[in-house]
Amino acid sequence: MFYVILESTRSALISILAHGLRSFLTTLGIVIGVASVIAVISLTQGMSAFIGESFSSLGSNSLTIQSYTPISEAMRGVRARLTPEDLELIERRAGGVASITPILYASRSSQVRYAAQTTFSQIMGTTYAYRDVAQAWVQSGRFIAESDNLTRRRVTVIGEKVRDDLGLPENPVNEYVELGGEWFKIIGLLEAKGDVMGFDQDDIVLVPYSTMRSLAGNQSQIDIQIQLSLSEQAEVDDVTRQLTALLRNAHDLEPDEDDDFRINTAEQLMETFDTIISMVTLVIGGIVSISLLVGGIGIMNIMLVSVTERTREIGICKAIGAKRLHILAQFLIEAMLLSLLGGLIGLALGYGLGTAISSSIDSFPPASIPLWAIALALGFSGFVGVLFGILPAAKAANLDPIDALRYE
Amino acid sequence: MNIADDNLIRLHDISKHYEMGSTLVRALDDISVEIQRGDWVSFIGSSGSGKSTFLNILGCLDRPTQGEYFLNGVYVEELGPNRLAEIRNREIGFIFQSFNLLPRATALGNVMQPLVYRRIGYRQRREMARQALDRVGLGDRVDHLPNQLSGGQRQRVAIARALVTEPSILLADEPTGNLDSQTSADIMQLFDQLHREGQTLILVTHEEDVAGLGDRVIELLDGKIIRDRRAGEPLH
Ligand SMILES: Nc1ncnc2c1ncn2[C@@H]1O[C@H](COP(=O)(O)OP(=O)(O)OP(=O)(O)O)[C@@H](O)[C@H]1O
Ligand SMILES: [Mg+2]
Repeated sequence: MFYVILESTRSALISILAHGLRSFLTTLGIVIGVASVIAVISLTQGMSAFIGESFSSLGSNSLTIQSYTPISEAMRGVRARLTPEDLELIERRAGGVASITPILYASRSSQVRYAAQTTFSQIMGTTYAYRDVAQAWVQSGRFIAESDNLTRRRVTVIGEKVRDDLGLPENPVNEYVELGGEWFKIIGLLEAKGDVMGFDQDDIVLVPYSTMRSLAGNQSQIDIQIQLSLSEQAEVDDVTRQLTALLRNAHDLEPDEDDDFRINTAEQLMETFDTIISMVTLVIGGIVSISLLVGGIGIMNIMLVSVTERTREIGICKAIGAKRLHILAQFLIEAMLLSLLGGLIGLALGYGLGTAISSSIDSFPPASIPLWAIALALGFSGFVGVLFGILPAAKAANLDPIDALRYE
Repeated sequence: MNIADDNLIRLHDISKHYEMGSTLVRALDDISVEIQRGDWVSFIGSSGSGKSTFLNILGCLDRPTQGEYFLNGVYVEELGPNRLAEIRNREIGFIFQSFNLLPRATALGNVMQPLVYRRIGYRQRREMARQALDRVGLGDRVDHLPNQLSGGQRQRVAIARALVTEPSILLADEPTGNLDSQTSADIMQLFDQLHREGQTLILVTHEEDVAGLGDRVIELLDGKIIRDRRAGEPLH
């Protein structure tokens, strides 16, 4: 058997090389199919590797609690809220929490001004605990302190992007910026973190939580976010369950009512992105396998033509002792090699394409092809070759020697 | 099953009929013949008398409509396609009327091809093929494609391909049909030499002097044997 495969491979290669251009055109469908699979996979894989890295920088054992209003409720004018009382409740009653901080987003304008420069940024009121929860370290100056909150100081810690946008000096500490019509003194500059999926983590402005509350106006209506980090031994699921029970109780929810808040973990967020990416991969993979199918049909078509063209040759081979297996193997292996060759070219092309795309778009992470994708692409193209080679090969193998010899 | 005699080939009432619409073409009609090991038999007859059809059946390429064919004591009719392929490969060396070389293979490649079906390794195959080409005097043309060879040279490649497997029978359909008289004489010389080495030879021709070189001449007409004589006997 090995001998047959070896000899068939030898003659298949000779035959493929003898019709170089035709072989290439035959397998073009496979080339394009595999190239697009590989391009897509290399891009999405590069992206998910990148997302993985970014999220670990977020602090993987942190939780975010937000209010959540289902659309049906929102239409009735009801808005769910998380209140400072909820925060207090959690601080007092929840176990497994290392640090906890409220975040109050600026409700109106999030315009930031320095001298003649203005920019828009994410203005958040928070406490000193934010530093631990969000792994946000200052590169110069200091972070928001407990005393800043107690005395509602008008101080701010800004991200690198904000500093850059406003044209602030390298060390912006002690400069003043205008936030929502009030002047704040810069006390710290955060370390640059880069962006996660288009959310620039350096595009933030932090102010003390109580300062933000006093500026927010209508205090009874505020809706805060709560971020907390877990202590070492705590299990994410346990804490989530506990928080859910606490908040449901505090919000007087009946057992048949849905939660009016959402508890997100960084891991969850990452899983969500991963799911989206694998969905995209799957959908594109589906489209691409159709193109491989079409490529396979192209191969089958040319192989059928080739069998007809070589009918006499097949007759000659049978006359000098070729068995059905020999002829079958030769054509099958020829189809498979054609297809594999297309797969290889497609692989190189797809990787080149992926790299070109990822390097031409700035924020795109570098392309990477996992080994399984290479194996899959080659395996699949080989399979397509065999699948669509069977019919022509069987046709050739079943030819009657004398009929084949007489064929003009 | 085994026929304990010297007959390499035994045909009994072999017929080959083709139905062409409503008419029945009797290409071969009840042919019975026995051929011994080492014989040189020439079949002669006009065009369309059934010579090629007959040779195809002898060469296990075609099956008769009726009749019994024993080759080396084996009843060929009941063999499957794979066994027939084996017989064609081991027992029979076929030289076709139109050469039938593989167009995309060199002379050497053509001669090597039957050995592929015998699971012989590449190096040994090449060695055997070279020897066979040397034997037919084509040792200096091994790398030529068939379309780069003259008719006589192609014929020699075809002969080398038939010889390389050391078959029990050499079948040749009009081996000199397309050749000039000098080349024909060379080829016939080669056959004569093979015959003296003990090779069983079956030749089809329509030239009386070519047929006369063998031991035995069988004359066909319209698919029937009309004469079976020793070579050299007068025609009438
Ligand atoms: N496949 C076929 N279908 C129908 N008739 C056929 C077929 N093959 C051969 N014949 C007929 O059988 C007869 C014998 O043909 P064959 O080829 O054996 O002749 P031949 O003696 O070899 O002639 P030549 O000397 O011209 O080669 C012819 O009448 C031919 O028409
Ligand atoms: Mg003929």
